Amino acid sequence: MKTVHILLQVLFAAAFAPLVSGVIRKIKNSVRMRTGAPVLQPYYNLFKLLGKEEVRSVHSSWILAAAPYVVFASTVAAVFFTPILCGGPVFGEAGDFLVIIFLFSLGRFFQALAGLDAAGAFGGMGSSREMFLSALVEPAVLVAALTVSLNAGTTDAAAISGGVLRSSACLGAAAMLLAAMAETSRIPVDNQETHLELTMVHEAMVLEYSGRALALIELAAHIKQLVFFSIIASLMLPCGAGAGLYGAGGYLAKLLVISLIIALTEISLAKMRLFRAVDFLGFALVLALAGAVMSAAGF
Amino acid sequence: MIIELLMFAMLFVTFAMITAKRINAVINGFMWQSLLLFAAMLRLAVASGNTELYILAALVLAVKAVFIPYYLRKITAEMNVSQNMGLILNPFLSLLSGIALTYLCYRFAGYVFSAQAPADKLMLTISVSVIAFGLFLMVFRMKALSQIIGLLVMENGTFLLASWTSGGMPFIVELAVFFDLFVLVIIVGTFIYRINKLFTHIDVSKLTDLKG
Repeated sequence: MKTVHILLQVLFAAAFAPLVSGVIRKIKNSVRMRTGAPVLQPYYNLFKLLGKEEVRSVHSSWILAAAPYVVFASTVAAVFFTPILCGGPVFGEAGDFLVIIFLFSLGRFFQALAGLDAAGAFGGMGSSREMFLSALVEPAVLVAALTVSLNAGTTDAAAISGGVLRSSACLGAAAMLLAAMAETSRIPVDNQETHLELTMVHEAMVLEYSGRALALIELAAHIKQLVFFSIIASLMLPCGAGAGLYGAGGYLAKLLVISLIIALTEISLAKMRLFRAVDFLGFALVLALAGAVMSAAGF
Repeated sequence: MIIELLMFAMLFVTFAMITAKRINAVINGFMWQSLLLFAAMLRLAVASGNTELYILAALVLAVKAVFIPYYLRKITAEMNVSQNMGLILNPFLSLLSGIALTYLCYRFAGYVFSAQAPADKLMLTISVSVIAFGLFLMVFRMKALSQIIGLLVMENGTFLLASWTSGGMPFIVELAVFFDLFVLVIIVGTFIYRINKLFTHIDVSKLTDLKG
């Protein structure tokens, strides 16, 4: 029964994730007084890409062909360990909170390799930047995870999401939100809206992809974003055990608030210089550290 | 719970002020800090039901969250100086020193309050670290404007400390402090404006030479 629940949850996450991106884009366009694309545009993009022919450089190796599947599979595997609709079931026996972070690193490793594989000028640049950023994001994410783990006394995702909300977790959640902005390539660190710009990070790595492979990578990016938001909504800010339908409503409300914060930050800030991202993510790390110390002090 | 969250938000804003590189970002940080101070005062006023505290909260909102940020923005725009704060320590080192300062304040609060009063301990830690961060901004930034902002941040910390530990100073003293602050900001603002006119910069590290 639990297995069926988890599978349904993963399917729900995969189907729901592009909608979150669509909603964020819609909010940004509304604030800018533009009509913009419909909310369902990410789905149309995915279906369009699935119907297109895939072209690969003859000079590329098997890594370029395999990477989209590894990226997609590792992201979907991460959903198995994330409580999606607040307190939703997870594979607690197989791994805990930290496995999610590990699975993302696996995907990122292959994506960076694929960026290097086709030997394009942009790909290698994107890969090197991505690894640089990930070295800064990971400590912040891990220390933020430590905050809630200290609060709950365990790293088990289900136990954390069933715990009580303590005020130190809010500092951890703020740190995780900043890290999520970097991980989902949002504006102060990266820019999702543009290709072919010298400052891009994530888009530079996936420049060589087309057709079905690109669709998989894009869907994986949407799912990764949902997983990060869910980590904030149901692990960093737990809504208590057995919340049921009330918890699911709270989860959706939190997701909307997070999307709103991200959208408003994106339209009100300019993209930082790459080396300013060190300060931005260092700030996230310091917040997470403060949260962990406060959690140890009993708040 | 509410007051704990307000204190954490205050810590967040103050850390952000320490990493900021631009003058406007620091002024915005001060505005947010004052708004949080206003919320904390309002919480205190609701808890005690004291009318004087409501008036003080309204004064915090009017003077610190609206007037002073507006005035500082105005003089920066008029002086037409570059937005760079002139950091002596880079943002990341500033953050690390911020962490060290907060930890010292935490240890200090441990001597004053016993472990039985965690809320008071947290409040003391954060208000003393806000004072320390204000001093930090005054010492480790080169532009003269950061001296006013640092002083204002220190004042915010003192105000928080006074109003939470002792339930507020006598009303007339608080009013006098507000008036003092109001006049101070205007005088120092004019002073910096004059410095800029005479020297064409407001970099305090270059003010050691005599100018005939």
